[in-house]
Amino acid sequence: MAFIEVKNVSFGYGHKTPFEVQALNNVSFSVEKGECISVIGHTGSGKSTLMQMLNALIKPEAGEILINGKNINADKKSVSAARFTVGLCFQYPEYQLFGETCFEDIAFGPRNMGLNEEEVKKRVLQAAGFVHLKTEKLDVSPFDLSGGQKRRCAIAGVMAMLPEVLILDEPTAGLDPSGRESVLRMIERYREHTGATVILVTHSMEIAAQMSNRILVLNKGEIAYYGTPQEIFSHSNELISMGLNVPSFTKIMIALRRLGYNAQDVYTVEEAAKQIGALIRGGRDT
Amino acid sequence: MIRDISIGQFFPGNSVIHKLDPRAKILLTLLFIISLFLCKNFFSLLLMLVFAVVCVLLSRISVNLIWKSLKAIIFIVLFTSALQIIYNDKGDVLWKPSETGRFCITTGGVYSAVFLSVRIIALILFTSLLTYTTSPTMLTDAIERLLSPLKIFKVKVHSLAMMMTIALRFIPILIREIDIIMSAQKARGAKLDNGKLGERLKAMVSVFIPLFVSAFRRAAELALAMECRCYSDGTQRTRMNRMRFTWRDIVSFITVGILIFAVVFTSFYPLWDIFLFQAVM
Repeated sequence: MAFIEVKNVSFGYGHKTPFEVQALNNVSFSVEKGECISVIGHTGSGKSTLMQMLNALIKPEAGEILINGKNINADKKSVSAARFTVGLCFQYPEYQLFGETCFEDIAFGPRNMGLNEEEVKKRVLQAAGFVHLKTEKLDVSPFDLSGGQKRRCAIAGVMAMLPEVLILDEPTAGLDPSGRESVLRMIERYREHTGATVILVTHSMEIAAQMSNRILVLNKGEIAYYGTPQEIFSHSNELISMGLNVPSFTKIMIALRRLGYNAQDVYTVEEAAKQIGALIRGGRDT
Repeated sequence: MIRDISIGQFFPGNSVIHKLDPRAKILLTLLFIISLFLCKNFFSLLLMLVFAVVCVLLSRISVNLIWKSLKAIIFIVLFTSALQIIYNDKGDVLWKPSETGRFCITTGGVYSAVFLSVRIIALILFTSLLTYTTSPTMLTDAIERLLSPLKIFKVKVHSLAMMMTIALRFIPILIREIDIIMSAQKARGAKLDNGKLGERLKAMVSVFIPLFVSAFRRAAELALAMECRCYSDGTQRTRMNRMRFTWRDIVSFITVGILIFAVVFTSFYPLWDIFLFQAVM
């Protein structure tokens, strides 16, 4: 049995008002332990709703969600257990900072878990290590940090709970390329260190291709595709018609093929570079 | 939870009520409230209630929503009714628990309790219709126009209206913000909806601090954006949607006029007393 099982989940907002929307419609998928999944989809495709469900913040109207074989919405106890097993980091998490110091803010989660002060301190320092937040910054008010540092502090707040499943909703939104890289690296660090399952919500196909072993494509509340990056990007035309995109290097390869070159589909920049290099040396195939 | 509050929300539609001039709607609502307080007997009150219900039906707002907004005031209705029943000692005694005590329930108390309840319900029905069928921008535009005579006294009507528009516009934004922050803190195990009172209050701090921070940030951003578009206290400003009185507004004014006449007539010339009780007020 898979670690996370989502079975026939449906959910809608604003029933019986003119603003009714069906956010999710009979969604089923499963995630194995230790996997890294990327969830992509157009705005309003139901990504955020789905992520909040995995954390038992939203209860599905139909269907159920099993984590480690247990229904997370079974009772109050399983709901609060799910909150700690599944760490959910919202979009722009820096807007949720409130602590007097960074330490206090990162310690919020572990304290809510009921850990003793010694353990809390250990967790905070460990989490600060994951995100490369300097120890002296822990005594500073989070509102005095720079934008990138705020983001790190907020992500550390979720990591400090050491969740077995880490969900991040657009963790790189609004960051510059180097900020983006460093966020991705801290997610990888966390994964290596804890063996956690990671679910990334992103708009960037490059990040999805680079980080994850499987990609879940949501379209209008339904699963359009679920598979390895290879499988997903072979549907580039369908993805584009959903208002999504394919990585820019995939686009280049498609364009080359159209020009008559023997270009294979690739999923990282390095592979693309290698192929293009080979093509330059080899010339036209046909 | 917070999203469930429907009072003050706008529901777009295409009904006769939606099409009325917002200025007319505000004035008619005021007239309705005044005549509601002119009512002296059940007949005139019934007339008002029927009128309010007809307007609600004309607006084609779903009954469910109306019911929701009425549910929100059920406590006020029960509370005032209870006070009336306890403290009004006019009329015949219906029930007296002890011979020596002063407490008793009288016909007058029951009448005025029912009378007040119906009055409050009619009031809420009609006034919530105003916000249900008028978009906030239209509403503030109309208020600005209606208050414009105050300009003689150097009241900055335009700034007031702009402040109101912004305040109204921010309500849904801040509600969404609260929703997100609450979810985010719950995801970190904050005991917002379970746990002891002390724990909950402590958890609320983790919601309100980010909320205030973001409200200030948004206000500063908005001010900057407005300045970038050269916003100034618009004395020379023209409007995108000019409001015009149409035959609909005239008809509705005449209808309400007739209604008020009927109310005043039945209240001050109580012809109906022969077969209808006059409320003991």
